[in-house]
Amino acid sequence: MVAPPANRPTVVASALRIFDLSLGQMLWSRRSVFLAILVGGPVLLAAAIRLATILEHLFVHAGNNKQIGGVTLFGMMIWLLYVHVIVPVLGVFYGTALIADEVDDKTITYLFTRPIPRRAVLIGKYLSYLTCTILLVLPSVVAVYFLIVPINGGSVGRSFPLLLADLGMLAAGLIAYGAVFALVGARLKRPLVIGLVFAFGWEPGVLLVPGYLKRATVAYYLQALVPHQMPLDTTTIGILTQMFDRFPSITTSLAWLAAMTVSALWWASRAVEDREYVLEQ
Amino acid sequence: MSEERGIITAHHVSKWYGQVIGLNDVTLAVPAGITGLLGPNGAGKSTFMKLVTGQLKPSQGQITVLGERIWQNPALYFRIGFCPEQDAFYERMTGLEWLTALVRLNGVGDRGAAEMAARALELVDLTAAAGKRIGAYSKGMRQRVKLAQALAHDPELLILDEPLAGMDPIARRKAIRLIRDWGRSGKSVVVSSHILHEIESMTSNILLINQGRILAEGNVHQIRDLIDEHPHTVYIKADETRALAREFLGAADVLSLKFEDQAVVIQTSRPDAFYARLTAYAASGEFGAIHEVTSPDDNLQAVFKYLVK
Repeated sequence: MVAPPANRPTVVASALRIFDLSLGQMLWSRRSVFLAILVGGPVLLAAAIRLATILEHLFVHAGNNKQIGGVTLFGMMIWLLYVHVIVPVLGVFYGTALIADEVDDKTITYLFTRPIPRRAVLIGKYLSYLTCTILLVLPSVVAVYFLIVPINGGSVGRSFPLLLADLGMLAAGLIAYGAVFALVGARLKRPLVIGLVFAFGWEPGVLLVPGYLKRATVAYYLQALVPHQMPLDTTTIGILTQMFDRFPSITTSLAWLAAMTVSALWWASRAVEDREYVLEQ
Repeated sequence: MSEERGIITAHHVSKWYGQVIGLNDVTLAVPAGITGLLGPNGAGKSTFMKLVTGQLKPSQGQITVLGERIWQNPALYFRIGFCPEQDAFYERMTGLEWLTALVRLNGVGDRGAAEMAARALELVDLTAAAGKRIGAYSKGMRQRVKLAQALAHDPELLILDEPLAGMDPIARRKAIRLIRDWGRSGKSVVVSSHILHEIESMTSNILLINQGRILAEGNVHQIRDLIDEHPHTVYIKADETRALAREFLGAADVLSLKFEDQAVVIQTSRPDAFYARLTAYAASGEFGAIHEVTSPDDNLQAVFKYLVK
């Protein structure tokens, strides 16, 4: 028998080996192909807008007929497409499937019968999720930035810090949503449905309700990290949102997002450690 | 049933899946060496295997493996190798990549893991296919690579759930020899099957399981006689299925023969003689490659029905 190593692999070392094993699987999965198409949507939209402005066939106007600059348009796209749709969708589809995919494929047995703590499997796969989604989202954002910001005289160089802030904010969103949906996937049955309801029902719904309930959302803290000034929204929902538009400071938001992430991952790890996975024969 | 010191001990172990009983008040001690777990599909073999590999927690009772509790005790997996029943893999990885990645999870460095993986692939005769994607492996190759991942880290206890299912006759013979050698080298093996003939070729120490209960344990020769009274069905997929069937048609022990798609299903009254002949045909290459040999458990079901009367 091969003697166990004098220093048994730590959770971190084991998680990194699981990360190595699962990153390739995750990157080239059907899910990634589908979500890459989704993430490519804003790039196509940005290219279309840019082409339209170049051909001077389209003028983009806000409600007060004032021409919108490229930076503002970029901010709107980040806000409406990435923060509200793409990041939660990626979080839901990958996060809830971290362990579920291995269970459905019946490959979980190979990981759970190795001398590593089960929580290392979850953490390793969570790291794979982060790498995979960051590799999907960030290039898309950068492409949109270079296509949109120069519209109507925007400066790519001057606005570059904004891009970095956006990338950081989206990474924070992926980190927090991934952990929350990993917890949903580890703890609950039908995690995808529950995840979608949480992301597109609970989160936007609660943000409209005055009071403290919105603090139980990721979006509330993520909003505080958005570096852009949004154009004035005169719709009813827009007015309602702006009435209760009191966001915490960046430091507070980051602290809460970190706390959410750590506690969600800890709770998810506990669930994976304790749960029996009965594979259908 | 006795409960003495053994490599695996179960003390009044039961496992329920909701209202369904998977294992019912089992008390036993599996001795060192090779032990066969024999029972029809749905008898509780896989539940037992999952309990002794710590994938499931007993609803009641206690299980120890190599003297330690197994549930939530990952350090014990340094000493255990498990080959599961399910045909599940990372299809895009090559055999060598997959094995290396799994051995690395045992805390072995990259180079050491690659060497151990290559050695394990050699043991199961897959060196030539080491760089091929698992998705392109035949059923028999998939079984062998699964066996390789269980023994790559040289564990002192191998737990094999239906390891020979789907292997061609030559691979089957080699796998049986490998398992026997593993036992002879002072290590232990627990191997499950629904085919007595397979188990018998590896060990005479058998645990009989049915409907979640251990019916008998030890050297069960009488079961052999009972089995022989019931026809044994074998499903064979080969390049030259019809020629192979013609060859078997003249044998006295062949009771019936029918074709299913590309395969032939044969009933024999003497499985030993039948398998010996099949292995000889496979080795001769006279009928092309024999891709798959499986046996439904109808014959064993009949024996168990008789036993529990």
